[in-house]
Amino acid sequence: MLFLALCAGFFLLLGKHPLELLWQVALGAFGDKYSTSETLVKTTPILFCALAAAVPARLGLLSVGQSGQFYLGAFVGTFFVLHLPAATPAYLGLPSMLLFAGLGGAAWGVVPGFLRARVGVNETLTTLLFNYVGALLVDWAVYGPWRDPNNLGWPASAPFPAGAIFPGYFGSRLHAGLFIAIALAVGLHILLTRTRWGLMLRVMKSNRKVAESAGMRYGLHVVAVMAIGGALAGLAGICETSAIQGRLQSGVAANYGITGFLVAWMAGQHLIRILPLALVMGAILSASDALQLFAELPSAIAVVMQAMLFLSVLGVAGWRKRKGG
Amino acid sequence: MFRIIQRTFTAAALAFTSFAALTAFATPAAQAADKVGFIYVGPRTDFGYNFAMDQGRLAMEKDMPGTKTVFFENIPENAEVERVMERLISQGFTTIFPTSYGYLDPALKVAAKYPKVTFMHAGGFKLAPNLGTFFADIDEVEFLSGMAAGACTKTGKLGFVAAHPIPQTLRNINAFTLGAQSVNPKATCTIVWTGSWSDPAKEAEAANTLIDGGVDVLTMHVDGPITITQTAEKRGVMVCGYHADASKFAPKGWLTGSAWNWGPLMERIVKSKADGTWKSEHIRGSIKDGYVKLASFGPLVQDSTKKAIGAKEKGFISGTAQWAGAISKQDGSAVTKVGETLPLAKIESMDFLVAGVKGTLK
Amino acid sequence: MDVAMFLAGFVVSGLRSCTPLFYVLLGETLTERVGVVNLGVEGQMLIGAFFGFAMTVWTGNPWLGMLAGAAAGMALSIVHGLLCVTLKANFFASGVALWMLGGGLSAYFGINLVGQKIDGFPSIPWGPFAHIPVLGQALAQLTPTVLLSLFIGPVVGFWLFRTRPGLHWRAVGESAEAARTMGIVPERIKWQGILAGGFLSGFGGASLSVDYTRNWIEWMTAGRGLIAVGLVIVARWNPYLALPSAFLFGATEALTLRLQSMGVKVSPYLLSTLPYLVCLAVLVYGYWRARQRGGMPRDLAAAFAHTE
Repeated sequence: MLFLALCAGFFLLLGKHPLELLWQVALGAFGDKYSTSETLVKTTPILFCALAAAVPARLGLLSVGQSGQFYLGAFVGTFFVLHLPAATPAYLGLPSMLLFAGLGGAAWGVVPGFLRARVGVNETLTTLLFNYVGALLVDWAVYGPWRDPNNLGWPASAPFPAGAIFPGYFGSRLHAGLFIAIALAVGLHILLTRTRWGLMLRVMKSNRKVAESAGMRYGLHVVAVMAIGGALAGLAGICETSAIQGRLQSGVAANYGITGFLVAWMAGQHLIRILPLALVMGAILSASDALQLFAELPSAIAVVMQAMLFLSVLGVAGWRKRKGG
Repeated sequence: MFRIIQRTFTAAALAFTSFAALTAFATPAAQAADKVGFIYVGPRTDFGYNFAMDQGRLAMEKDMPGTKTVFFENIPENAEVERVMERLISQGFTTIFPTSYGYLDPALKVAAKYPKVTFMHAGGFKLAPNLGTFFADIDEVEFLSGMAAGACTKTGKLGFVAAHPIPQTLRNINAFTLGAQSVNPKATCTIVWTGSWSDPAKEAEAANTLIDGGVDVLTMHVDGPITITQTAEKRGVMVCGYHADASKFAPKGWLTGSAWNWGPLMERIVKSKADGTWKSEHIRGSIKDGYVKLASFGPLVQDSTKKAIGAKEKGFISGTAQWAGAISKQDGSAVTKVGETLPLAKIESMDFLVAGVKGTLK
Repeated sequence: MDVAMFLAGFVVSGLRSCTPLFYVLLGETLTERVGVVNLGVEGQMLIGAFFGFAMTVWTGNPWLGMLAGAAAGMALSIVHGLLCVTLKANFFASGVALWMLGGGLSAYFGINLVGQKIDGFPSIPWGPFAHIPVLGQALAQLTPTVLLSLFIGPVVGFWLFRTRPGLHWRAVGESAEAARTMGIVPERIKWQGILAGGFLSGFGGASLSVDYTRNWIEWMTAGRGLIAVGLVIVARWNPYLALPSAFLFGATEALTLRLQSMGVKVSPYLLSTLPYLVCLAVLVYGYWRARQRGGMPRDLAAAFAHTE
């Protein structure tokens, strides 16, 4: 609620009518079927990336590499699709594409994981660097070997054949990726909280020495969780590429990586809490054009709004903590 | 404690949704005034490409008082733009200008859904019944600009700072080089790619790199020409501009430059829609129509050069083709021979660099 | 002489392009030394760049501009301090929020600044030095901020490792509770660390807009702030190593552009991965040799490891 107050204050400062604007934002997010579907469309990659950040965090690893893993998933998935025979039916093409993308993203998570496990290199830095390398790899591909000559030199891969495109629902861009993400969230949550493996992770996180003397292999699990995280972000990558873009292009990951990371942290790494938070983020991102359109405010405003949202959430949370002693 | 956050958010989301449900039917009706929407890939304050488009919009708005225009900036070149277009259409906008190259395929997709809306894409080369393209052949002006560069360079080395290897950029590089070579056959043009439409630090670095390598005339194809222009001036080399007249940033070293003048073209398009004469086609303007123009000359350009440029300009205006005559690629193979002209389709999908250009394409 | 020219040119351009990065890196090193991470340095850089440029346009004096930029960065960091120290919120989230706030605000208010012209710093009068063949030309390209960067790293390093206040800062970073028993008030030190980081990253941002590019455009830092946070780890939280680490990155970046201009036939995108790969290699090598945390202040490590 502080967020609303801050926004209202800011808008007033700019000389615009605050209530009307907030209304427009709400409309922009859920006002009609199209808006709602767009909100969900945005929520999907955020959700995947948030999960991708949360899983490694269960072992105490701070991975910011969702963006790079996203790109690798898109990259490897596209590689697979480009070599697919054209007439492959969707029920074969789609799952295998997802599998390859998952492997690609996982690989991008495994390398930092391995470096951390074997040499102790801080995974935050390695995943950060890998983000840039991943994005550049996709750039190289679409400007170079995979540039579709039919596209008049515009950098993008050839369009995906029908068998490799996620179908949309209700004539909108909403696609199965959302449901896969939700299912994975629930599944992983159960895995992490109710199975022995989840328990092991918790022990290893809080006290590595005790865990290792009990025979648990820290290094192996580091690689494992990084792989899972990477695969999740990789899935986001191929879903965006296949369902939304229909071809591989530069810049597909946009801000999803860091937004997902943020959502995970705000949710306290709790996989189920991530779900509504991802939705709110998706709503804000998708409604931000409403601001540009109606208030005729520049795009910077949407960013400021998002910032204020975080700040108010953090402020309120911190304030309560302080009160609670 | 995070539960509280979660609850707050759920409450907020519910509140939003209920507001929304209550007001879902309150879409404003389309007004009688013509509603035109513009979509820019970057900020309209970049003093470059998007700035020029926005200037066109403003000019058009001034000349046609009944039109209401709205713009979106910083919209990335991928399916994001579809959502933006859909929003415009849902608000009753009937003409949309997606002004960046990469908007073409999303625009085609949305155009197929809304046959009553007219789309005018900048720089594309595909058509649909309700989608046309427009652009201006700034390469002719780049050629003239190159002539100035070729005439003024002392080292014979020209430098080009460019963002991404897309056809428009390649056309500019090639035209600039050919122009320089027409007055100075030994001139070479070295390219440095920054990989980003807007990264001032890298642009400054690229400019410095070229200058360190002996380049004494710089030009560019990035969204904002200011950084490179200023860097050139500081290091004491000459510069040819692009997108807009930035001579005030380089009072000593400015030679000339290419600038856009979109207003009249946009007006023409919107008027043709209003009086029913609009048809789906590739509108290409050039110096002849005044949609692109050469910027003012700087103090270093000799009168003889100005005369030569003026003559060539007249030639273009009266129809001399630019992409004609003997043109060969970097590897020596011929693109066109004397007497041949490059067809429009090949120009628009240019994927090579001419001989005399140093740098790679992929 | 050509090789000398090339090397000199290369070193100078590497220095110049890494200077903004260096200031942010130094600032964040200090902040992390007291146990706080501030991912919002990019936002602080941007707001510093904006205020710096605006002040220079307004007063015509680049020094005032730099100061204004630094002050702006510091002001923004107050938010981080409020959230992280006073309210004990999660500092990664706060940092990212700050990043967006700084970026969004500077982008919005900076709209009217685009296209304004400033003169930047006047050339340094090198006198007789300017006539030395290779050195002279190289020196001519240096500006006050670059010169300052050569000295300030060691100065801060000395302060951190050899003075009492520096010891207190390091103590707080290692363990706030232990520091408290020594009579130090960790919260105050953390505030100081955050503000110092804010000041330096604002300064770094201002050096980008007022000095290096003499231009303003929204989001002009292009991710350099975040790289700086990463480079803190490469520099092992050691101010002495801040300039070398920044130089490593900046010089590699400059190198990739130089390779392009020499006509190397490799995709510019693949070339651009070099700076990151080089940093990665240095990092891995460093860890391999040290086989340990690599100098991370313990409380910081704790913050990284715990997820609450």
